Amino acid sequence: MATSSGSEPGPSREGEENKEKDERMFECNICLDTARDAVVSMCGHLFCWPCLHQWLDTRPNRQVCPVCKAVISKDKVIPLYGRGSGKQEDPRNKVPPRPPGHRTEPENTNGFPGFGFGDGGFQMSFGIGAFPFSFFTSSFNFGEPRPNPAPVGTPQFGEEQFLSRVFLYIACVFILWLLLA
Amino acid sequence: MSQNVNPTHSRMSEQATSSPKNSEGVLQPSKDNHAVTKRLQKELMVLMMGAEKGISAFPEGDNLFKWVGTIHGPEGTVYGGQTYKLSMEFTNSYPYQAPVVKFVTKCYHPNVDITNGVICLDILKEKWSALYDVRTILISIQSLLGEPNNESPLNVAAAESWSNQEKFKEELLKHYNEV
Repeated sequence: MATSSGSEPGPSREGEENKEKDERMFECNICLDTARDAVVSMCGHLFCWPCLHQWLDTRPNRQVCPVCKAVISKDKVIPLYGRGSGKQEDPRNKVPPRPPGHRTEPENTNGFPGFGFGDGGFQMSFGIGAFPFSFFTSSFNFGEPRPNPAPVGTPQFGEEQFLSRVFLYIACVFILWLLLA
Repeated sequence: MSQNVNPTHSRMSEQATSSPKNSEGVLQPSKDNHAVTKRLQKELMVLMMGAEKGISAFPEGDNLFKWVGTIHGPEGTVYGGQTYKLSMEFTNSYPYQAPVVKFVTKCYHPNVDITNGVICLDILKEKWSALYDVRTILISIQSLLGEPNNESPLNVAAAESWSNQEKFKEELLKHYNEV
């Protein structure tokens, strides 16, 4: 009981101090005002984008962070999007737009990590099933309008009969092989 | 306004004279001017709120672009007990360009020109950063008084006599006259 009442005034005072500190924390290091169109350098220092842009423009040969003098560049700053940052009162046409943020999609994680191996097996069997199918369609589909069957009695008719019998035989052997294997 | 224009800062004069459609795409002069004023006002507020030991600065008259700074010589050095006045002139490209800072009080120092008060200090030249402000400039100059860079002196005689501190102080007091 004593400890809880004793620690009570602590957080409120701390909170006030922190609030003041927080306000200063989000000030641009160049204009010393609250950062507008905020960007942060790779070394972690906060600036208004127009301010930093002008700083880098003033010294094209020495592009360093004004705070820590680390090497920085225009395309290596990260924009900070707070809540409601979508509307901009001042479009600042003269300053090139802030570089966009780089974002990477999270990696697709499986819902059932235990079935990882099973999933792979499924994909493999699908591949085997699909391969002969596409092979047959590509090999035995000559053009869109299928040619009419040759009239009975012509030598072409005989050849086709022979071919179909050969394929039937091959199919039978294939099915037999599948059953036995 | 004329004292805000410094011909040595080509960029600034270019901003002041050219049309808003600048090839480099910088902000318009009027807007820029406003930003500089705002920043200088902020600095003034910080300086007045937190009384920094041994330094002070205030705009000269109504012109926010020209300040007068005061530095107390650091104790324990030959400059201890002396007070030096400096002039600081800001351009429209502040804080992207350093202000022009000069000693008004005659200052006998290896890195200060005794005749015109020009200071040779890297952070006012090539090492300038937009983060530096009036406070940090004055602190830097104050520490420069006690720790001169005798390698590249503006005042050769002062640099040579620095090794003999008693003789140096004697010479220093000959030039010094409190403002």
